[in-house]
Amino acid sequence: MSPPPDRPEILDSDHLSARTREILTARLSAPETQPRTLSLQAYAVLDALLPVLLPLDEILPPGTDINMTARIDAALSGPRDGWRFANLPPDAEAWEAALLTLDDVAAERHGICFIHLAPDLRGTLLDAMMTGQLGLDRDGRLSIPQMTRWAGDLRGEVVDCVMSDPRVQQALGISSSLTGGDTVFQGFTEVGPDSREDFEPKATAPLAQMADSRE
Amino acid sequence: MNSTTVMKTFAETDIVDAVVIGSGAGGAPLAAELARNGKTVVVLEAGPAFTAMGHTPDEIAARELYWLHERLSAGTNPQAFGGNNSGTGLGGSLLHYGAFMPRMDARDFHLHTETGKGVDWPFGLDELLPYIERVESFIGVSGPASYPWDPNRRYAYAPPPANSAALKMREACDALGLRHADGPAALITRDIEQPHFGTRHGCANCGACHQGCRNGAKSGADNTWLPMAVAHGAELRPGCFAHTIERDSSGRVTGVVYRQNGVEHRQKCATLVLAAGAVETPRLLLTNGLANSSGQVGQNYMTHVSTQVWGEFDEDIRPNRGYPSLTITEDMMRPRDADFVGGYLVQSLGMMPATWGQNLARSTTTRGPAFARALAGYNRSAGMGINGECLPRPENRVTLSNETDAFGIPKPLIEHSYGPNEWAMHNHAANLLSRMWEAIGAKDIRVIDRAAHMIGTCRMGTDAGSNVVNPEGRSFDIDNLWISDHSIFPSAAAANPALAIMALSLRTADAMLKA
Repeated sequence: MSPPPDRPEILDSDHLSARTREILTARLSAPETQPRTLSLQAYAVLDALLPVLLPLDEILPPGTDINMTARIDAALSGPRDGWRFANLPPDAEAWEAALLTLDDVAAERHGICFIHLAPDLRGTLLDAMMTGQLGLDRDGRLSIPQMTRWAGDLRGEVVDCVMSDPRVQQALGISSSLTGGDTVFQGFTEVGPDSREDFEPKATAPLAQMADSRE
Repeated sequence: MNSTTVMKTFAETDIVDAVVIGSGAGGAPLAAELARNGKTVVVLEAGPAFTAMGHTPDEIAARELYWLHERLSAGTNPQAFGGNNSGTGLGGSLLHYGAFMPRMDARDFHLHTETGKGVDWPFGLDELLPYIERVESFIGVSGPASYPWDPNRRYAYAPPPANSAALKMREACDALGLRHADGPAALITRDIEQPHFGTRHGCANCGACHQGCRNGAKSGADNTWLPMAVAHGAELRPGCFAHTIERDSSGRVTGVVYRQNGVEHRQKCATLVLAAGAVETPRLLLTNGLANSSGQVGQNYMTHVSTQVWGEFDEDIRPNRGYPSLTITEDMMRPRDADFVGGYLVQSLGMMPATWGQNLARSTTTRGPAFARALAGYNRSAGMGINGECLPRPENRVTLSNETDAFGIPKPLIEHSYGPNEWAMHNHAANLLSRMWEAIGAKDIRVIDRAAHMIGTCRMGTDAGSNVVNPEGRSFDIDNLWISDHSIFPSAAAANPALAIMALSLRTADAMLKA
């Protein structure tokens, strides 16, 4: 029987510990879709920028949604990574202010809010933010230097969410979760180039197919 | 942590010979050595006691091994904390360290004498070497049969197999005429019975060293020093956040107040050892207003220049597999064409996917399909990275911020900016490593500008006016206060700090026993 499309095969490997399986499996379910941390307005901006920042349609099977917006919003209310840039407020506050800054700048430059901008205009605003050309000097918003720092936090958070998702790991053929089971700790026998072991996933993502076709 | 002995416990009213704050590379060897010599020792550890088989390679969940009390990072090169810099739990940062275990270069002890820049250590390699050899022998370090830069050196364990990145770096070194070797790694490659601990298995090449070693192959404090300490009567207390140092009217330390499960406790002691690292050690001294007649507590914060260069290859590399950083070259310890002082070590880099992706994400501004393509290149990626000297600078320091944490204690503010020497070294390494990858056909070569490790802030030296502790780690101001961690390093040196921290820890224990 083939696994259901949303359940990556790596989750059933005996090279996975029970704890790791549980951690990865929990990521398959969407957190509550209502924002837990951000305001509705900020949440909508985040939802509208993610596909422009990092589209996953050439990585994941069609129709797969890893609920990035909801997971990032939920993560902002959970334990954080132990540091922040001193020129930014605490994470949840910084994210709210940054996303509202993007919305305000969209309105000022284009006359409509961020979520209604065409994708290429959303992308232009993100580029401006990442290269130190977007910010607002007013209460509850972030200045240009703050937005530049926050852009790094945004990119880092998105990558954490994506690379730790078992569907992405499966699609990209990543075996990093398969270090060993509970009764037998297998590790890896083969560690050199072009030596995929049978239990390791093969990439299925269109973007990663080229590499596997050479095997 | 396993242990084959039942742990002795002390009453809070007992005046123990030593309380040690921190159970990592700084605290654990010293605690074991004091206990072995009959001293009563209590080790306070802020984090929990983990079990090795419970570690998970999942990088998000494995953050439980990192020090997550929030730090504020400033300066023109604000440093990322959390992962890769500061640990928590019995065993400290050795729970998540990469186990790359080079020895300090003899020249790095005398950088100022050599170059007029930086600071000399108050002693040379000859003084530390016996302790280094004791550490290597006791915890277990693997390495090559013959080490090109020190042919007399011997390692007790054969190296683990070279992974893709290690093999690629060998090719790249050969292409440019650089020497290379399997680097010293603090892991064992055959099963052993570790005294006072039990069975440690040989490395299984799982690649998740930074997420916690699940079979005891990696040589940490949890499977070496701490079981030895317990076997000789030391008590380990996890979950204890120390915040207040108490003193008598003469200014000597009398005890420590710590919080455990929300309740305040007090442990009396004859001697206090701070081994909480280059941020938490000065933070404790600054919040308590102690041991700072020199004004140097928190000053001279240093890191390592840790530039990385990644490339994509045609082969299936799978950078998560195998010991991550096996190949080393020490040929850049004093490169002839250097426009900087000091030197750097180069190592090969495999990496787990989220950590790798974070580095990529934070060092580039690609977006859209190009960003997705870059991430999809994970399995074809190999890296090299350096650890290089970082000079002390007045603007780089740890101070107390205006914000308080959940305990009501000011959060630390860490200011870190590269100076001309660090930038020159970064540029030299970026250029060399890029040429190395180009020489063997890597594509999409990407330079990542980053610093790693935390060093300095309670400098050791002979002059009480400009140092916090004497050359043995004892406070100039309070004679029963000692510091045993990387905060006492006078200079950063190029080598990863864990080995020198452990060697200094044994040396400070010797000094305490003689005091």
